[in-house]
Amino acid sequence: MSITLDQITKRYQGAPVVNDVSIDIGDGEFFVLLGPSGSGKSTLLRAIAGLTGVDHGRISLHGRDVTHISARDRGVGLVFQNYALFRHMTVADNIEFALRVRRMRARQRRERRKELLRLVALEGMDDRLPSQLSGGQQQRVAVARALAHKPEVLLLDEPFGALDAKIREELRRTIREVQRELGITTILVTHDQEEAFALADRIGIMNLGRLLELGRPEDLYARPATRFVATFLGAANLVLAQHTARGICIGADPVMALGGSTASGNRDHEVVAVLRPEDIEIAPSREVLHASFLGLGTVEQQLFVGANERLRVRLNNPGDAGQVVTSADGDATDALLEVTRTQHDRRNYPVAAGQTVTLGVRRLHVLATPLSSFTACATSEAQALAISEEPLLVQLATRMKTRVSTRIEPALQQIANAVAPDSPGAECAPFAGVAVINTDPGAVHTVRWLLQLGAEAVLLLPPHTPSPARVLIHWVDEPARRATLAVAASLLRHVSAQAVYVGILPNDDEAGRPDGMRALLDARSEAQAVHGLEIRTELGFGDVAAELTRRLAESPDQLLILGVADISVLTQRFATLLSRTANPLLVVWQPGDSPQPR
Amino acid sequence: MAAVRAAAGDTYVQPSVLPGFGLTFGFTTFFLSAIVLIPLAALVSKAGSMHWEEFIHTVLSARALASYRLSFGASMVAATINLVFGFILAWTLVRYDFPGRKLIDALIDLPFALPTAVSGIALTTVFAQNGWLGQYLALAGIKVAYTWIGVTIALTLIGMPFLVRTVQPALAEVQRELEDAAEILGAGRFYVFRRIILPTVLPAMLTGFALAFARGVGEYGSVIFIAGNLPFKTEITPYLIVIRLEEYDYHGAAALGCVLLSISFLGLWAINYLQHWGRRRSMATGR
Repeated sequence: MSITLDQITKRYQGAPVVNDVSIDIGDGEFFVLLGPSGSGKSTLLRAIAGLTGVDHGRISLHGRDVTHISARDRGVGLVFQNYALFRHMTVADNIEFALRVRRMRARQRRERRKELLRLVALEGMDDRLPSQLSGGQQQRVAVARALAHKPEVLLLDEPFGALDAKIREELRRTIREVQRELGITTILVTHDQEEAFALADRIGIMNLGRLLELGRPEDLYARPATRFVATFLGAANLVLAQHTARGICIGADPVMALGGSTASGNRDHEVVAVLRPEDIEIAPSREVLHASFLGLGTVEQQLFVGANERLRVRLNNPGDAGQVVTSADGDATDALLEVTRTQHDRRNYPVAAGQTVTLGVRRLHVLATPLSSFTACATSEAQALAISEEPLLVQLATRMKTRVSTRIEPALQQIANAVAPDSPGAECAPFAGVAVINTDPGAVHTVRWLLQLGAEAVLLLPPHTPSPARVLIHWVDEPARRATLAVAASLLRHVSAQAVYVGILPNDDEAGRPDGMRALLDARSEAQAVHGLEIRTELGFGDVAAELTRRLAESPDQLLILGVADISVLTQRFATLLSRTANPLLVVWQPGDSPQPR
Repeated sequence: MAAVRAAAGDTYVQPSVLPGFGLTFGFTTFFLSAIVLIPLAALVSKAGSMHWEEFIHTVLSARALASYRLSFGASMVAATINLVFGFILAWTLVRYDFPGRKLIDALIDLPFALPTAVSGIALTTVFAQNGWLGQYLALAGIKVAYTWIGVTIALTLIGMPFLVRTVQPALAEVQRELEDAAEILGAGRFYVFRRIILPTVLPAMLTGFALAFARGVGEYGSVIFIAGNLPFKTEITPYLIVIRLEEYDYHGAAALGCVLLSISFLGLWAINYLQHWGRRRSMATGR
């Protein structure tokens, strides 16, 4: 491996800017770090270059641990966004800078310079000053300068940011050619997905300091695992759908026979489907539709963009499931389906705004997230509304590009007083997604009831909780591991917090320790292998509920994700924790081998 | 430029948001004349009305020559000290954020605002043989007050803000990324300073040096208290001029003033030329 990053963390004023990022980059690979501004990608690049220290983790270049080695001795080349050329020096002096520092002889310096100028197609520009060159030429000089001392790794920090589209394309080609010719391992940082597609062997997508997904551009585009990647890499409609025994249903009929497998087994449940604008077909009627039927829609807006036509279509009577939560432009408030068609399709079936059309789905991708939507649940409307406006919930929903609905459930009152039956009656409508309730003394019964009604997870929210800086993860029984990790992975991609798996042993004796350590390592490697999520691990001792309570009490900005397989464990052992805690709590239940109430 | 001139009918008028080139140019000329040029001309004409031998005698008298040496020498030393320490001060203020930075930043301008006589008295209090610092320096055998060292210290105080205030903005413009780039290319700290930072701020430093030097030559108030004003030893030229005036020897005072004026002008011009030449040279190699 050329570049190995192992759990790199960089904090700024306590908050992680880069959060447990691990990447392996192969020899000669062109790797692109893609993310919005503030996602920590530039900080990570500076850390690799040695311009910024890291708070945790190790960086190796070609097998050599360089974590504590200064930038000067790392043997990397770095190209800055605004060129950072030495303005009082000529092109020749700029390029020869690294060679002069290394006391290379004048003749060899000149030869190397000529070679580099040829490489970036700037022959004969030796005696110009940077101010006499165009932006594109200056950036070429910067590339030549960065390569002068034959670095093993080339780092590019948004190198095309300040250039216009045509020059950008040209320079992009040059950089790709230079990279191929030299076979140099390269990392490029950008916020431009088009650039990433054009250059990358592999792309790593960052948001909120975390590396969300990593893979080949075509794989990430076709099968994103997270909402963020689905909407950031190209355009996507996110639609809430039902995963049923018949397949994925957006309207009444299944649009796809096969969906992604999820944690919930055979139960019907809510999922998030990704519909690319180009995968939606528009036809005059159901009979002439080639793809599977989605529903009827009304064209609201029509735009021409060069080769394609862009339409925004409202689904008629989508029902509760089948709600478009985010259209391609990320606007969640007025969710319309975004559709693009080729000019060829447009000529075959021209449509106008206001027209009713039949929509079909050519291809659909179901995200593997168990956290599809949020439902604030309370006995009165005012209370439900208050929960839905909790800052933490609003922040989560916005980042997850999903909706928060409210549900008034009078039955909760009886449950809180512990007079309700153990399992919910058939008259209650099933739950979908995550139920959100306020912490109160009877919370444990409410949680149990909601989970049995079909909620994927229950979020207990004490009033005015801050956004968590640490997320503790613990599952009580081994069968709950898979579901708990899935929920944790999904949640952690949307909060800028450190993830810690807490393993707890009954008592601190030498005999038990190896088992405890193995459990920690298993948890970490499963999170990494299955979800691409980096977590820390900590070991605790004693009673599980007491130990978790103690750790939560240390600071209010910690969130606990608690997984259980046997639901009676919740009422027996965690009643106090659930009803007393001042921390937000996410309870996950995966019915294991125990008999299901339904 | 040529194109603009041709388009505007071969005048110097360029389109501007402020109307009335004639008015503003007239005002500039008048203002400069009334405040600067006419008084200077009067000075020269006053000196010019002397006999040649008399002029030479006044200007080249041993006492006058000693005063030139002190005035220009001390100003030069003071400006050089400021060049180094003013740079460090400016560096600290630009590059570091520490509690009290704003306060120190404001203190820099104090020598501008203080009546110079006050700073002179303050310095004398501190550096006199029985003063706070003076007594310890005296133990070490260094006499500050009433020697050329005192003069230099006074001029350093007076010239300091000029350097800091000219270097500060230039330093602020040195991008951090340039240093990062140099470091990644393998340069050590001193190398970065010498090859990257210094060349960028050098013009500003020279300007600050020139201003501090010029101010030093003309300084009177703060120096006379600490200098002791012994003829041939600690007498600065401005003080000599005042003595001549008190003796009603207006011609002699004007003659000395002329010498001061010419040397200062030559010095400022030389520094300006040096800067211009430096710029031209770096541009020329670029072509």
